[in-house]
Amino acid sequence: MADRARTTGGILAWQGVIALSIPAVWEATWRLTGSTWISAPSLVAVRLAAWASDGLAEHIATTAEEIATGLAIGCACGVLCGLVLGRMPILAGILRPIIVALYSVPLISLAPLFIMLFGLGQLPQIVLVGIVVFFLIFFNTFAGAEAVDEDLIRTLRLMGATRSEVFRKVIAPASIVWITGGLKVALPYALVAATTGEMLGSRGGIGFLLNGAAQQFDMTSLYAAMVILMLLGILTSASAARLESWLLRWRHAAG
Amino acid sequence: MPPDKIQLIGASRDFEARGRRVQALQPIDLSIQPAEFVALVGPSGCGKSTILNMVAGLLGPTSGTVAYDGLPVTGLNQRVGYMTQKDTLLPWRDVEANIRIALELQCRPTSRADAAAKVREMIELVGLKGFEHHYPGELSGGMRKRAALARTLIYEPETLLMDEPFAALDAQLRLVMLDQLQFLTRSRQMTVLFVTHDLGEAITLADRVVVMSARPGRIRAIRKVPIERPLDVFTARFSSVFAKLHEELWDELKDEVTKGTDL
Amino acid sequence: MRPDLALTAGTPDSIADRSRRFFTGTTGRILARIVILAALFGAWQTLPGPGMRFWASDPVSIVAALAGWIIDGTLWRQLLATLTVMSTSYVLGCAIGVGLGLAFGLLPRLDKILSPFIFAAYALPKIALAPLLIILFGIGIASKIVLVTVVVFFLVFSSTIDGVHDTDPDLVRSLRLMGATRSELIRKVLIPSALPWIFTSMRIAVRYAFTNTLLAELIASNSGIGYLIAYHSGIYDAAGTYAAVLILVILSVALTEVLTRVEKAMSRWRA
Repeated sequence: MADRARTTGGILAWQGVIALSIPAVWEATWRLTGSTWISAPSLVAVRLAAWASDGLAEHIATTAEEIATGLAIGCACGVLCGLVLGRMPILAGILRPIIVALYSVPLISLAPLFIMLFGLGQLPQIVLVGIVVFFLIFFNTFAGAEAVDEDLIRTLRLMGATRSEVFRKVIAPASIVWITGGLKVALPYALVAATTGEMLGSRGGIGFLLNGAAQQFDMTSLYAAMVILMLLGILTSASAARLESWLLRWRHAAG
Repeated sequence: MPPDKIQLIGASRDFEARGRRVQALQPIDLSIQPAEFVALVGPSGCGKSTILNMVAGLLGPTSGTVAYDGLPVTGLNQRVGYMTQKDTLLPWRDVEANIRIALELQCRPTSRADAAAKVREMIELVGLKGFEHHYPGELSGGMRKRAALARTLIYEPETLLMDEPFAALDAQLRLVMLDQLQFLTRSRQMTVLFVTHDLGEAITLADRVVVMSARPGRIRAIRKVPIERPLDVFTARFSSVFAKLHEELWDELKDEVTKGTDL
Repeated sequence: MRPDLALTAGTPDSIADRSRRFFTGTTGRILARIVILAALFGAWQTLPGPGMRFWASDPVSIVAALAGWIIDGTLWRQLLATLTVMSTSYVLGCAIGVGLGLAFGLLPRLDKILSPFIFAAYALPKIALAPLLIILFGIGIASKIVLVTVVVFFLVFSSTIDGVHDTDPDLVRSLRLMGATRSELIRKVLIPSALPWIFTSMRIAVRYAFTNTLLAELIASNSGIGYLIAYHSGIYDAAGTYAAVLILVILSVALTEVLTRVEKAMSRWRA
């Protein structure tokens, strides 16, 4: 027991050492060489503070809006289509290879296409996120709806449930496991999609900041933008994990 | 004379297994009266579950007819409550919500308060008090079976089909459940078709016991159980009438059981 | 739900039953797909009005553009560029990932110490590294290879570590009791038990290499399929853009096919 505690303490200690020494070494290197390429944690922190009081919130909001809107639309359509098609085996059989083919395409690379079609605002990003999320969620929901245990359905039919009741009480909840799986992947993907779109052509958002910094060879701003993106990334992954444990309480209870 | 509740006339069933046609059930003739409790006993694979499935409308007979209330069964028979060997509890609902589900359906509208009261009653009946908010994944096999029983009984179907419902329970609990089942089915005049491999269980509860042969299944013997009902489940097996019937039926059964294991 | 009457003595087939069976068979399905696709392309070709036409283009023009690229060699050049970056990065990333992963995995606490940092690094959308890499390495092939290698590396690295850690401790204990040395343990137990993890991650890494190669080509590059898409959309050449997307779709499907075949072959060998 004490051994475990010592080890945990030891691990934390090492983590603390690493967490402190990385910025320390970085800062030291900058002070020694004075190179603008390297920049320094102190400079990055100052830049972040400057941004925070001058428009950072708007940029974060832009990116967040794109993600949220695209997610909402993509999820809703994906779940709907997935559930419906999952219970229409004939149509599903016909469309399956087409769907699988489309699913294998890295949809994020279509970003320039959407910018051409929809201009330089938030719309291309929303469409991109929406499509990426749609495919992910659709595919997962579809697989889930197909895979629902027939015995559960039969049991409820015997009790007198109508088709729509079976759908609402068995098929939809059963598919949630799969939908959640899709969401876990979709959330981080949405961030990547939104950022990519912004980097290619937009007037706002963190990707825009990143790109702008790169074009002006402003390393400090570049690193600052990367820090923000990393934090956003952590946020999206953590939210996805949280969502999963909430939706799947009954699974985790079983342990 | 009231019409038979359940009637099998020359009903047989074939299956396809690995490209070959296998006869699971030879033509069976069986009539079950309303409010009668009939037990089906037989070795594994004799087709007992198939008979239940046909009465429930999950399968059609390959030849012959299966009738319910005088009409042939076509499609799912929603007048029966079916408790299968595999408990099909919805894993995302807790025990309470699972038991309640039959009362949520529009075919039997129940007020929330009524439903809640019935669920409470059922939970006590099957001895799951304290576990209302547990999920099926957290329960033992026996507890899940009890929850499934509660779920089936709560809406009081006029007929009950039960496929080895108490096999996974320990001996004490089994007797308790048999007692409850007897009480419930008699007070509500339910017709019951009960499949079990335990001859003692069959004799304890049934008005008639049907012994089936090994695959392909046919009826080998039917005996009326000459014991006064209701009986004390806990002491029933000590009566001489019980023992005599048990011996008789066991004679029929044991040939079939060994036949099954030879394969 | 209809009861299963499959083996019931003959009831005549209704039209609904027959058509259901037809569309469940292979010929029926293929026919249905052809009809659906033909209808879609037909609509695409004929429906858009003059204003829409600029943005939507039409299948004939798209195929014509593609044909032009096949003839003048553009297709092959760009395809080669993408595949080169993809495969080089993949090999590099896997090699370094497995190597370092095994090394780190065998040092017991190192993994636990580093895990939050790896998690943070994971959280950064790798595409955000692209501008930095371009500043460092220019718009050529080097920055792309570095980016994709990093992506592949991360995946394979963390999976390898997980694989080493997933080894059944009882297995290790029993071999230790038999008298195995540390290197024998590594060779006979740890590495084999990590292999499924490694292979799975290498399989997933192919997709990642593909996607990120394309993304890197989008951001700032002068070669590759991604570049084709970016270039033609930048000059508002709809037909060209869609043609490039078509190449992308065909390439993706081909890649998936190849992967599936390889997987099947490998599982036969492994099992």
